[in-house]
Amino acid sequence: MTEILFKAINTPNLTSIDVYEQTLDGYQSLKKAFEKKPEEMVELVKASGLRGRGGAGFPTGLKWSFLAKDVFPRYLACNADESEPGTCKDRELIMKNPHLLIEGMILCSYACQIETGYLYMRGEFWEYEELMDKAIDDAYAKGYLGKNIMGTGFNLDLYTHMGAGAYICGEESALLTSLEGYRGEPRLKPPFPAVEGLYGKPTIVNNVETLCAIPFITRNGPEAYSAIGTEKSKGTKLVSVSGHVNKPGNYEIPLGTPTIDLIEKYAGGIRNGNKLKAFIPGGSSVPMLPASKADTPYDYESLMEAGTMLGSGALIVIDDTANVVTEALGLAHFYMHESCGKCTPCREGTRWMYQILTDINNKQGKPEQVELLSDICDNMSFKCFCPLGDAAVAPVISSIKYFPEDYEELIGSMKTAQPVGTP
Amino acid sequence: MNTATQTDTVTLTIDGKTVTVPKGTMVVDAAKTVDIEIPVFCYHEKLGPFGCCRMCLIEVEKMPKMITACTLAAGEGMVVKTTTEKVEKAQKGVLEFTLLNHPLDCPVCDKGGECPLQDNTFKFGPPDTRMEYNRFNREKATPLSPVITIDRERCIACQRCTRYSDIIEKDQALVMRNRGFQNRVSTFKDQPYDTRFSGNVIDICPVGALTNTDFRFTARTWDLTNTNTLCGHCACNCNMTLGTRLNEMKRVTTRPNDLVDDGWICDKARWGYDFTKSKNRITQPRKQGQSVGIQEACTEVAASLQKIVEAHGPSSVGFIGSGYGLNEDLYSYQKLFRTNLGTNNIDHKTYTDTPGLPVAHFDLLDVETSDLVVLIASDPTEELPILDLRLKKAMTRKGVQMIVLNDQQTLMDKYASLSLRYNVGSDGVLLAGLNTALQGQSAESDLESTTGVSSNQLQAVAEKIKSAGKVCVIYNPVALTGSSIHTLKQCLATAGGLAETTVGAMPAAPVTNSVGAMDMGVLPDVYPGGLALTDGDAIKAKWGDTAPLEKGLSALEMIEKAKSGELKALIVYRSNPVVDFPSGHEVGEALKKLDLLVVHDMMETETAKLAQIVLPSNGPGFDEGTTTNIGGRVQLRTKGLTTDNPADWKIVSMIAKELGQETAPKDVHAVTAEIAEKVTGYQEIKRSAIRKQGKNREAVASANGASASDGTHTGSGLILRVADVLFSHDKILDAESNLAHQFQPSTVHLHTSDAEQFGVKEGDEVRVTGNGHEVKAEVRISNRCNPGGLVLPKVSDEQGVMSLAEAGKAVSWVTIRK
Amino acid sequence: MFAFNDTSETRIKKIMAKYPEDRKVSALLPLLTLAQAQEGYVTPEAMVEIGQRLDVSPAYVESVCTFYTMYYTKPVGKYVVKFCINISCHLNGCDNLMEYAEKKLGIKEGETTPDKKFTLLKEECLAACTEAPVMQVNNKYHVNMTPEKIDQVLGSYK
Ligand SMILES: Cc1cc2nc3c(=O)[nH]c(=O)nc-3n(C[C@H](O)[C@H](O)[C@H](O)COP(=O)(O)O)c2cc1C
Ligand code: SF4
Ligand code: FES
Repeated sequence: MTEILFKAINTPNLTSIDVYEQTLDGYQSLKKAFEKKPEEMVELVKASGLRGRGGAGFPTGLKWSFLAKDVFPRYLACNADESEPGTCKDRELIMKNPHLLIEGMILCSYACQIETGYLYMRGEFWEYEELMDKAIDDAYAKGYLGKNIMGTGFNLDLYTHMGAGAYICGEESALLTSLEGYRGEPRLKPPFPAVEGLYGKPTIVNNVETLCAIPFITRNGPEAYSAIGTEKSKGTKLVSVSGHVNKPGNYEIPLGTPTIDLIEKYAGGIRNGNKLKAFIPGGSSVPMLPASKADTPYDYESLMEAGTMLGSGALIVIDDTANVVTEALGLAHFYMHESCGKCTPCREGTRWMYQILTDINNKQGKPEQVELLSDICDNMSFKCFCPLGDAAVAPVISSIKYFPEDYEELIGSMKTAQPVGTP
Repeated sequence: MNTATQTDTVTLTIDGKTVTVPKGTMVVDAAKTVDIEIPVFCYHEKLGPFGCCRMCLIEVEKMPKMITACTLAAGEGMVVKTTTEKVEKAQKGVLEFTLLNHPLDCPVCDKGGECPLQDNTFKFGPPDTRMEYNRFNREKATPLSPVITIDRERCIACQRCTRYSDIIEKDQALVMRNRGFQNRVSTFKDQPYDTRFSGNVIDICPVGALTNTDFRFTARTWDLTNTNTLCGHCACNCNMTLGTRLNEMKRVTTRPNDLVDDGWICDKARWGYDFTKSKNRITQPRKQGQSVGIQEACTEVAASLQKIVEAHGPSSVGFIGSGYGLNEDLYSYQKLFRTNLGTNNIDHKTYTDTPGLPVAHFDLLDVETSDLVVLIASDPTEELPILDLRLKKAMTRKGVQMIVLNDQQTLMDKYASLSLRYNVGSDGVLLAGLNTALQGQSAESDLESTTGVSSNQLQAVAEKIKSAGKVCVIYNPVALTGSSIHTLKQCLATAGGLAETTVGAMPAAPVTNSVGAMDMGVLPDVYPGGLALTDGDAIKAKWGDTAPLEKGLSALEMIEKAKSGELKALIVYRSNPVVDFPSGHEVGEALKKLDLLVVHDMMETETAKLAQIVLPSNGPGFDEGTTTNIGGRVQLRTKGLTTDNPADWKIVSMIAKELGQETAPKDVHAVTAEIAEKVTGYQEIKRSAIRKQGKNREAVASANGASASDGTHTGSGLILRVADVLFSHDKILDAESNLAHQFQPSTVHLHTSDAEQFGVKEGDEVRVTGNGHEVKAEVRISNRCNPGGLVLPKVSDEQGVMSLAEAGKAVSWVTIRK
Repeated sequence: MFAFNDTSETRIKKIMAKYPEDRKVSALLPLLTLAQAQEGYVTPEAMVEIGQRLDVSPAYVESVCTFYTMYYTKPVGKYVVKFCINISCHLNGCDNLMEYAEKKLGIKEGETTPDKKFTLLKEECLAACTEAPVMQVNNKYHVNMTPEKIDQVLGSYK
């Protein structure tokens, strides 16, 4: 097992700064970093091949190099909104090893010449706000944060900021809008945050897991990191395996590990001896795949080739006792509930899909509704303001593609259609 | 050589057509220039790109995904396609989503006939809907305010209205509540949305969700006769369209003119038209209370005037006009008195002012292109509302800075980088101090004790002016005391002489055509076009050998002389001295002593009641001619309603004819042409030249007076500051007005320290007394002005605040009684 | 009338220090959270107060407040019990648990018990999917739920 992020994660009291320093050489990477120029740090991260773990998989070093030149102040916003269904890895990192994240945020800030950073956590992480605040205070006390850190002249302030219940605030521009005190509606891109982000200033938005990989890369060099994984997908990935498995949990794997190994070896196989029917590899926003594709290596390229995405790294496992239409309906409800309502196709389309799927799930659907669903999906795809609309389409369209028999099963026993109440 | 044009434009192709547009133009707008229509809902030029409705999806070569044309700035070499199969499918898809929960009640919808949703569906839409569920349950028509109805079922959540509230009016009164499909245009706790500019949301709503309550169900839009005209309320002269049917006013809508209103109008423009059908209108000429024919009335006026002039000389007659008249009307009146009656007893105001400026006359657009605006004694929000929006735009979106110098707090303070409050009545000293500072000298040592503003602060103002490249000074002459307008003009002259700075100014008196009234020479000491009495030769050349050269009486002096019996006859035109003049409560007695009082007005007034002869004035909606706004822009006001009564200028010409004038203009255009010929600055003002967006008149000669900079006043009590309010309950907005809900109670604003001294608390009912008069008001302890002064907003005619002011005094002292 | 209490005021000082001075609206969400913690829900009066502090209109505050699902604009019970109904919890039988809780508390989803003690709500993914099914009581996580655990947890809230 290759453990970078989860190394010694279950050490008792790891949340204490002293334990962190003793067990994991905590904050030692700062010295290494401060020996380098900020630009060199960016190059180092580029060389590691690290890609963003929040969902889009954008190369992290490259993102850092896109910051508008010579415009200050700059901001860091660490994305701990973790709301993608199936995903719970960031929560575990924060809950068990907050100092790793702080160390990562310091390194990123140094590399990007940032003096203020915010940790945007979803509102439901209320319990961990206190924990993070304490960890940040301890880091100040030890001189890892604040003015003139370790005598280098580098200053950094970190603050927590809590959301209040909105999936869309995980989308980077909506996160910034929310942090500025607005409704969490996404903004037009371009300009991208690296050019005009928080308060109109250049801003880096990175996922918790992404930032937690930086201390290792700094300490051990980019080669140590890029040695892990596949040719194009470097390093390790935390995968939240949930659903119909015996041992659900967050597992750290080298990228490229076969998906089936995640299910069988790590998560202890399908529960109750049932058979694997379907799996969603990267959180609810990516297309689901049938069991036949379970040997796909778990990395960005292979999953893409298989017609889905690695996304946030949440592997949701569905066994043959389930009808995927019911799960698609549940997710349709989720996207309808979470659509911010700003753009028309997403606001109207998610609700319409939900209405139709409800009918079908209640065995009151009609055959032509499946075709209609596909067409609604097509009318939404890539036509919405932000990727939430595309995400909403993914579970529905893939369920139709791979499991038409599940639809047939429900529609075949169709009773006389009667008007259905609206939600 | 102009290299700017090369770099400031981009060239692209749209559906095969080559288009060259300024950099930063959005593709939707670029397409429009070559008559390619890309459908939109949420996009509105003045609100900027937003991209939420997705109606405008297009394809661009080399871009993998479709993109919204309203958020995409045109780029060099871009190849845009708006009619591909993919685009058409997307448009149909988006329209289907848009219509999903929108009722198809077009036959009974007020937006019918001018509805973008209807039009887009017709042109780009799916033939029918595949939606088989009940629409999301939303409220049908409910009041959003007493004048706006909201039909939430029809709302397509384009956020135009809420963005308008946020970006343009900047009060965030109208917002989106909830999220997702449950979002809902709302105010806080569903209170009425009754701001000063609320009505604009009706015009920009792309569906029938926001409608004009007064207009609802009264006519179909295609049955309306639409007339392009100007608003007749304040001196901005916003452009608007009158919708009439069978000679009755139905509604007012915006008619964007970027040079004046930037596409918006205030609610007074939109709903303050009840006067056109008010029972309080003067519709008939009358003599001693009896209706008479107009010819008979004119003959009578002429005969009486002639008799009086013969008996007592030309100086026994006079004319008090107002800035409410059109240029043609005012020009005709001054001509009548000067050339037919031989007197300069002509005026239109009770404050001191002179025509022309020692610096450039800036137009409204200059507000946006200046580096610094200096706003003096002006409260645009209440006095010149559209200027309020323009200033907010300049401050928040164009990077312009503002300095505010005022004796009272206003809503503009919030947008100023520096806001100084001088003591009520100390403007003369303050401006003299500013002039000294601009000249690079230090101010008098007692400056601060007199004005409440330190010399350091004034120094800072002077420095800012000196270091700004372009400075726009906006001042309200009405709110200056004594003769300090002259000091202000000296400041302008000094600033104008600064080497590095371009300075221009805008005289911002609130009344509709105040600049026109000055230009037309409705003044006792200046002929039209700023021609001073001292220039006898020029006057004779233009106005004939008998043109009077001695200074006439000012409006207040005429009232004085009426009282003393020296003035025998007076024509009062579109003015109500009994209410609006200082010491108004004494004016009536003076007027009663006249041998002849003629009132020529649109509405019945307290003054008209005293007149022997009353002549009807048609006023906005019915009249036609030109006005000159605060930016010096001359525009055409046309009529949307007809009446049998002759135009005001025509009545004047009928009187002139009786007095022996041989030639008479054949129509209003002839008067406009005569103005172009006779009035300096107006040479280029031709009907054809001003029809579309108006035209700036050239400079009018600047006539500067000397100031006796009197800034220290002695008296007891507090110094009175009367403040204008937009929705004042007067003759124009009467009790039946659509805007009656906007009327305010009478309040008096005190400084904490003065309130303590007078022993009054917030909310107390008090009497403000002075000048032998009293006004009832409720106390507000708002620190709106410095200690030693009090502010009385003029909320109604009935309240009679002007009677507290002493005629002819720079300041008036009042006290407070419980 | 609404006024922040002393504890809140102390926190507000810390909160305001997080954001640039000319960007104090950033404190809107934290202040709404504080107001709710104090009153149980966000009252209109609290919206007015917050608007004044941050220099935005009360309508604006209401607009933001109603966007986020964690703010209540109507009174709720002393304990808000939220069941995640999203996919991982659904695959692990959250429907039955919700039904069990409804029966146990004698209320339906969205309702509050007559003694104003419990409010029962459905929640979208709570980010504890590997420990499904998940329940939160006033922001405290309870994971791997079973009917017995519901009895035990709810019993511990007095
Ligand atoms: C609807 C939506 C929700 C998202 N939610 C999250 C989230 O909860 N956490 C996260 O880190 N990124 C999320 N993202 C991705 C972010 O937009 C962004 O790409 C990411 O935070 C960048 O960080 P990274 O480069 O480190 O991955 C979301 C994106 C979308 C479109
Ligand atoms: S009311 Fe009209 S302008 Fe406002 S959001 Fe709805 S459709 Fe748009
Ligand atoms: S007009 Fe372009 S998205 Fe609405």
